[in-house]
Formats: sequence, C-alpha cells, structure tokens
Amino acid sequence: MLRRGLILFVLAAFLSVPGLVAAHTPLFACFDNADGTIYCEGGFSDGSTAAGIPIIVTDGAGEVIKTLELSRNSDIEFDKPEGEFSVLFDGGEGHDILIPGSQIFE
Amino acid sequence: MKRGLLLAGLLTLFLSAPALAHFQMLYTPQSALEHGGEMSLKLVFTHPFDGDHIMDMDPVQEFYVVHQRGEEGEPQKIDLKEYLSEITWNGLDDAEGKAFEANLPARVVRSMGDYVFVLVPTPYYEKADEGYIQQFTKMIVNVGGMPGNWNEPLGLPAEIVPMNKPYANWTGGVFTGVVMSNGEPVPNIEVEVEYLNVDVDMAANAFVGEPKIEAPHPAFETMSVMANDKGEFTIGLPKAGWWGIAVPDVVELEHDGKELVQEAVLWIQVTDIP
Repeated sequence: MLRRGLILFVLAAFLSVPGLVAAHTPLFACFDNADGTIYCEGGFSDGSTAAGIPIIVTDGAGEVIKTLELSRNSDIEFDKPEGEFSVLFDGGEGHDILIPGSQIFE
Repeated sequence: MKRGLLLAGLLTLFLSAPALAHFQMLYTPQSALEHGGEMSLKLVFTHPFDGDHIMDMDPVQEFYVVHQRGEEGEPQKIDLKEYLSEITWNGLDDAEGKAFEANLPARVVRSMGDYVFVLVPTPYYEKADEGYIQQFTKMIVNVGGMPGNWNEPLGLPAEIVPMNKPYANWTGGVFTGVVMSNGEPVPNIEVEVEYLNVDVDMAANAFVGEPKIEAPHPAFETMSVMANDKGEFTIGLPKAGWWGIAVPDVVELEHDGKELVQEAVLWIQVTDIP
C-alpha cells in the first residue's frame, strides 16, 4: 500500500513539472516603436506560448519601475521609461532574459 | 536510316535535358536570423547549378509573406509587391536576364518567428517546349529561433511543405518534404534537386566566381527522387549552401492557347557544423 502510494506520488510529481523535462529555450525581444513606447514579445524555442510570463522593468539603479505580464499573444507594449532602464523576462530559474534599454532598437 | 533516327532521338533527349532545370530563385543570404531588420531578396529565374542561364521574368503575379510567431500565434499575411523593383541579373558567361529585387523595411521582418515568403511569377513561355511554366516558390526565414508556420501548407496549386525546418539543416543531414496541390498530397511524383553552385553578389545583382562543384555527369547537376504514395520525399544534404527543390508538372492547365504547367519550388539552406 505504502509502495503504491509512493509510486503514485513520484508519477504525479513527474507529470506536474513538465517544464523541467521540456527541451525548450526562452526567447525574448524588445523594440523601440519610436513613438515613446516599447514593444516586447516572448516565447519558447519549441513554439510554446509565453502568455502570463512576468515582465519587470527596472531603472538604472535596479529599482523596479513597473511589473507587467505578457498578453495572450505573448507580447506587451508599455511607455518607454526616461533614462536608463532594463526589461526582464522572468521565466523562472534558468529561463530569465534581461535586455538593457541600450540594446533596444527600432 | 535507323541509326540516323536513333541519333536524332538521343540528340533530342540531350538537348531537352537543360529545360528540366529551370528554378525560380527567391534568394536572401541568410535564412536563420538572430534579429529582424531590413531585408533584401532577389527574384531570379535561372539554372542554379550552372548559373549561366537567366530567363527574363515578367512582372510577378503575387509576392507576399505569411508570418507566424509561436505555435499559437495568428498567421499574418503581408503583401510585398509594393517593395519590388525590376533589375538585370548577371549570370556567369555573360548571361543576363530581367529579374526583380525586394528591399523590405525593418518593420516587415521585425518580430520573432517564421516568415514564409511566397512568389507567384507570371507564367514563363518556354519556346523549346512550346508551353508555359509557372513555379510557385517558397523560401522560409526565421527570426530569433521561435518557430511558427514553417510546416503549414498554404493551399497553393503546387507546393512543397517542409517536414524539417528549412532554415535549420546541418551538412550531412536529410530533408523531408511533402508535395501538395491545393492542400492535398500528390503521390508518386518526381522531385528535382539542384545545388546553388555559384556565389551571389547582392550589390552587383550577379552570380560571381567559379562554380563550386564540377559535376562528373549531367545527372548530378539536377538530381531526381520520387515522392512516395503520400507525396513524401527525402533528400540528403551533403554540402552547405542553398538547395533548390522543384516539382515539375504538378498541375497542367492551358494559358494563351498553350499548355501551362504549374510547379512547386522550395529553397532550403544548409549550414556546416562549426
């Protein structure tokens, strides 16, 4: 009885964390729309969605300016911050991508 | 008399062979792009292995791209005809012909994902065959590594649908595709394969240099493979560069009182393992 319970627990744990065994790489890109807004889009190398992934915008000192999340289309648009800033795709451990504002082009 | 007939027959076969190797090119130097941006494409009707035949193209009927970002992304069709301009393409051995180029602004190929470029040229009159050829041509670019619609059929009258990402092939690998007509597989049809055996100078609108390979026999210039009963075929990829895959005579129609054959062309790029 105990053994069956252990097997079920291990199986359930395995099935509940498919992200750990999926061979996918996070992908993230941002563009300056040249109209005072920034457009960012994310996803994974296997084509799966990044909807709901948190996007954290920080200033030059690393202070959080705003916390957003990618839309159903795995993208988002927000007002371009003044001065230095960075945009973080917070996909969890091993799935983070940070893009400095200086690397965002039209 | 008999010998004369035999010689005439053989001569006809020999002379007609080059007519099989027409490939509508839809070329850009790199199909797997890290970032999007401005892009230049060349539309040339040629024999890619020789690079010394350039057929005059008439204004194209359709030129567009279908972009999709991610498996759940919405495919977006963008008409690109406004970016076309006529050029003269220079082949090897003083060959030249009327071709087109497209200079796309950064906003067209900016987002990550797949870009399936489609060219539908005006039917080309082939004097030797006293008929028209129209090659529905696809070339697929990826930006940023995020896949999209690279293996989605577009429902063209003649089409090759890839079963491998056409922009991510190592030298020594294989490529598999399906021949389709209006979304349905075409069984047991002959597929032709030709290597782009010359370098391309994008600024000069020309094939340049010497051919990279000398074929030991004409059969190695335009290779053939038969699709199976599901329209599927597989080819090997022995050398880095661009490979053209063409399926002649998928559909036979009439145009201006002559036969019109509609054909499928797909370009794939092969990369050496560093």
